[in-house]
Amino acid sequence: MLDRIKNWFEIRIGLKDLIRAQLTEYRVPKDINIFYTLGFVAMAAFMMQAATGFFLLVYYVPHSEQAFKSVQAIMTTVPYGWLFRMLHAVGSNLMVAVVFLHLASVFFMGSYKKPREMTWLAGCLMLLLVLTFCLSGYLLPWSQLSYWATTIVTTIPTAFPYFGDYAAYIMRGGEHVSGVTLNRFFAIHVALLPFLFISILGFHLFLVRRIGISSPPFGEKNEREWTEYRHEAHSDGIPFYPHFVFREMFMVMIFFAIMFFIISFMPTLFLPEDANTPADPFRTPARIKPEWYFLAPYQMLRLIPNKLLGVVMQIIIVALFILWPFFDTKKERNILKRRLLLGVFFISIAMWVILAVWGRYS
Amino acid sequence: MSRIKLFSIFLLLIAVVFVLAEARAVEQADKSTCLECHASEMMKLEFRNIPGDWKTSWHYENRVLCHDCHGGDPKDAAAAMSPQRGFVGAPKYKDVPEFCGKCHVGILKSYLESGHGKALKSNGTGPNCVTCHGSHKIQKANIDIINEGLCGKCHSYERASIMKKALFLTEKKITETEKDIKKLKAGGVFTEEEEKNLFSAHAEFRTLFHSVDVSLVKERTDEFAKKLSLLGNKIQNMLNELGFRKNFSAFLMLIFLGIGVGIFLLSKTYKS
Repeated sequence: MLDRIKNWFEIRIGLKDLIRAQLTEYRVPKDINIFYTLGFVAMAAFMMQAATGFFLLVYYVPHSEQAFKSVQAIMTTVPYGWLFRMLHAVGSNLMVAVVFLHLASVFFMGSYKKPREMTWLAGCLMLLLVLTFCLSGYLLPWSQLSYWATTIVTTIPTAFPYFGDYAAYIMRGGEHVSGVTLNRFFAIHVALLPFLFISILGFHLFLVRRIGISSPPFGEKNEREWTEYRHEAHSDGIPFYPHFVFREMFMVMIFFAIMFFIISFMPTLFLPEDANTPADPFRTPARIKPEWYFLAPYQMLRLIPNKLLGVVMQIIIVALFILWPFFDTKKERNILKRRLLLGVFFISIAMWVILAVWGRYS
Repeated sequence: MSRIKLFSIFLLLIAVVFVLAEARAVEQADKSTCLECHASEMMKLEFRNIPGDWKTSWHYENRVLCHDCHGGDPKDAAAAMSPQRGFVGAPKYKDVPEFCGKCHVGILKSYLESGHGKALKSNGTGPNCVTCHGSHKIQKANIDIINEGLCGKCHSYERASIMKKALFLTEKKITETEKDIKKLKAGGVFTEEEEKNLFSAHAEFRTLFHSVDVSLVKERTDEFAKKLSLLGNKIQNMLNELGFRKNFSAFLMLIFLGIGVGIFLLSKTYKS
């Protein structure tokens, strides 16, 4: 029976040839390391978000009067609803962490360099989309935390003169965060962002396969100049399947194990008490802290005396990060041979961590 | 100058901005004219401890602010104590029950019908709320407030001790239920309904014992026991559900770890 099905596909799409060309004969560098699997882990995390998100969508009611109650119903009365919601909530945080790690490792390996600038750009855009996913999804449970965190975030555009207030008004759909804001964020979260994300992900994957995976820059390497298009084939490398796929699957399993560890032993790590209290526009919580991945920019905005300066500075940092391959045009990819760049890398990470911790405990 | 050097300078500038800005990162929380004045040097010593006392109180924990009891406008220093802004100041000894009773309505009614309330209203000698609970350092009330030291100031402890015994079981059950609700909340469960039910039972119970009528308390203890038992069962079911969730996710964690180890071992055979 199985052979007949295989044969059916073989005749129509050339299954064997497809598997040979795309999996077994497709090669990756022989010295490839575990960090190269993070892109696949991020993709697996996204697929899980899509699957659990679909389940939540069945029961969630995007209305300010019903949203919180529907989330509570998912957590208490829908069979295994709690599991799907926890997977979605914890998974979103872990996905951000994996994407951060992926970008940091790509930076460290110098894989953003020519001819992979577009791959880096697409990756950075996906990071921004993931953060927008988190931001828009954060409001949906309509809890105290989500309501007030969104209130803070939607005031950021008001730093800009002339159009700032109007931009904030458009984001909120009014003067304040309300049911209209909830509808807007919901539409963005479930309809616009998935479409954009999948499109850019497709482009990103296309580039990775078209150019070929970059090899780690460490050790003695004799890299040819990129004067014209060529596919980096790694003829002396290891097969993508089964060797590299197994490493990727191993990391995916670790990802899920970490996720279930958090759900089991630290269920409130990403859902503190204010995330479990219905939104009350007339009661401002004593202290509102954004999620961990926004803590560094949040603390930066708090520290810089001028709001406009703070926002502009952040935009400059993000732009520098995204456009980095166009600033760093040196041929040398090995960061260990470039002390200054190595310093910038670690100082940037250290500053991010310091600001995040500072923001959390200040 | 290379681009990386320029970027390093940019990072350095950001660091300098942060260090300078830290100097102005003053905590803005809890700003109130009442607190600022009462904590200042110009305030009489007897009033200066009020902000500190209040910050350790149950009212503070529940965000009951100065103007909620005393009126006035805490945001406007000039008019903070203006009667036009509803400032009522500190009540006279005899008026304290009505002052507190603005919020604690049921307890006021019960108190006024009790021996304590009648004594206060008839000759001004009976205890008022502050006598037992204090004023600004008010703590969450519990059964230990009935003690020989406090009750013995005005009368013998014998009658109060019988009252305390009658209250004991219900009070214990309430405390246990409170702890269980806290556990549920820590597990991420929305407990509004359970909290409301407990609060209602608790308030009714408090109202009852402010009547200081031992026979009435004994008579209604069964009624409270039934109510609290129903609530307790519901909470216990939820706690069991939390336990199941924990075990189930831990089981899934082990499954994924196991598959991970399996894949790892399998990948080693491919290498060889």
